[in-house]
Amino acid sequence: MARRSTAFLRTTAFRQTLLSAALFALSSFVTLGFVYAASAGMMLRRADAAINEEVEVLDQRFQAGGIATVNRYILQRTVGGGADYLYLLINPNGRTMSGNLTGLPNVQPDAEGRLQFTYRRPLASGGVGEGEKDDRTARGQIINLPSGYYLFVGLDVHEETRLVSRMLNTILAASALALALGVAAGIFVSRRFVRRLDRINNVARRVRAGDLQPRAPRTYSGDELDELSENFNNMLDRVEALMLRMRHTGDSIAHDLRTPLTRMRNRLDEALREDGDLEAREQALERAVADTDELLGIFNAILSLSRLEAGESRASIVRLDPADIAGDLAELYEPVCEDEGLAFDSEIQSGLCMLGDRGLVSQALANILDNAVKYTPEGGAVTLRLRETGDGMIEFSVTDTGPGVPDADRDRVVQRFVRLDNSRTLPGSGLGLSLVQAITDVHNGRFELAEGPGVVADGHGPGLRAALVFPKAPAET
Amino acid sequence: MRILIVEDDREAASYIRKGLRESGHVADHAADGEEGLEMARAADYDVLVVDRMMPRMDGLTMVNSLRKDEDRTPVLILSALGEVDDRVEGLKAGGDDYLVKPYAFAELLARVEALARRRDPETVRTKLVVGDLEMDLLARTVMRGEEEILLQPREFRLLEFLMKHSGQVVTRTMLLEKVWDYHFDPQTNVIDVHISRLRSKIDKPYPRALLHTVRGAGYRLQA
Repeated sequence: MARRSTAFLRTTAFRQTLLSAALFALSSFVTLGFVYAASAGMMLRRADAAINEEVEVLDQRFQAGGIATVNRYILQRTVGGGADYLYLLINPNGRTMSGNLTGLPNVQPDAEGRLQFTYRRPLASGGVGEGEKDDRTARGQIINLPSGYYLFVGLDVHEETRLVSRMLNTILAASALALALGVAAGIFVSRRFVRRLDRINNVARRVRAGDLQPRAPRTYSGDELDELSENFNNMLDRVEALMLRMRHTGDSIAHDLRTPLTRMRNRLDEALREDGDLEAREQALERAVADTDELLGIFNAILSLSRLEAGESRASIVRLDPADIAGDLAELYEPVCEDEGLAFDSEIQSGLCMLGDRGLVSQALANILDNAVKYTPEGGAVTLRLRETGDGMIEFSVTDTGPGVPDADRDRVVQRFVRLDNSRTLPGSGLGLSLVQAITDVHNGRFELAEGPGVVADGHGPGLRAALVFPKAPAET
Repeated sequence: MRILIVEDDREAASYIRKGLRESGHVADHAADGEEGLEMARAADYDVLVVDRMMPRMDGLTMVNSLRKDEDRTPVLILSALGEVDDRVEGLKAGGDDYLVKPYAFAELLARVEALARRRDPETVRTKLVVGDLEMDLLARTVMRGEEEILLQPREFRLLEFLMKHSGQVVTRTMLLEKVWDYHFDPQTNVIDVHISRLRSKIDKPYPRALLHTVRGAGYRLQA
């Protein structure tokens, strides 16, 4: 939890906000500082000017009547405590002659000879506000008069300096506030950011742990985080689909390989137990070899199918005469049908031209012929046709009088490893029609299944009509 | 026969080697293309069995180098890739036959023996003879004893292949590839049906059978 609660400190958003808050605080501090310096300086200059004027006045008195006149002037000004200025006249013996200060300020003068100091009210001789005692700030100047007299002239600048220092405090407080607000905004913004990112990260973590269900929350605001969520979710959808397909294929492979493997195991086991009977042992071994061939066949079919589906197989597409393909396969399958007690017929239209891979198209056609032979009961009929359809496509079709495929299952049978219940007992990998589908796809063609011509009587089903439909080759240039 | 197996998978190599030895052949093994090339150049082999994917030097490169040296030793290429294009590529590189993994050993043996036979200086033969069966390749006729046997064109090609490889085991896949030019295995026993048709024409009426079924492997035509 500690990690989570401070995680926002490391975020880019927090750092950005903090940086801009600091820059803002600094710039306001500099601006206000400039105002401060200007007004504080002006106040001091005004005080100094007033002091200079009074020094001028006292100088005139001294020129006119010497120390005594000066003394009198000061006494007059300070009597009753209403003086604007602070005075102190000290004789060469160090004794105070007149003035409203208790003593010379004990501070070092600045470069212009001004002294800034604090003094304590009440004033020396009955000043304003009797009984009040407070430390006040004043400013003044010491003048050395001839024959060892010292004269101090000063001015109370308490209100001014207080104003200035208050101004300084305000400036500092404002800058600190700006900084604090910036930090708070940064925390707020980055916390929100971190919370949203955390949700996405949590989804990623759960997916990594093996759960493909969760999805990143969407705000549909179209901002960059929402876009990230969208892309992330799309990626997860794709991964999930692929995983499901792989799992399904894997399960199906395991299931389909288990049967022949178990059979083979039993046969080998049997062969081991056939004591002495060499012939029985040999037969068992031969059947085991046949089982192995079946397994190899399934593996090869999976391999070809995966390659076709992955689009890796760059089928060697050439211009070819479909009648050659149909003719060769009719010749290959006719004796097979005859052996199985099936009537075989072929109607092949010549003079057509298509673009295709001879091996792949032959394989697809052989697969549906295989199925027709396999599923049609004795006494039935298998017909191979090649024709140009009304809409100018090239169609190979194989019709049989077998049980057919129910309408509801026609989409399903082309999926990998799908075998209808009534075919489970017959040999086959369940990959044949998937391969046909993949091959027609590679050729931009279609694979169609429909009801055949058979009659539902005497053990004959409605039959099946399987068709490979390919585009015609464009006219040769 | 002396056969060189060039295969990086030691287990597969020793399985092939054992099988070939049990069939009466001498088999050596090289673990990659470079070693294979060296051994093939150093000794005179009847057939090379070369895996396609190998470290250091792949099978096609090795065969290519041999062919550039005018070495005509027949080569059977083994490959886990099984599409037509790969086969074409393999044959273009100088391979004489192409076998896709996984395969049955009987298939490999039949192909190796068929390749070795091909090496015999093939004079243009116009007549094939097995026992009292005679095929005239020019007149396209087949005689058994004094009787002419009428065959369909495909049956003629089937018998021609069997006669050219008489005494050897010929597998169903080999027949599909060489006689029909199909590189896939149909589910139904199409080849068996065609063989039995051929058999009914060339063997059935005669006391001695020439066309034998070799269980678990294929067929053999032998006098």
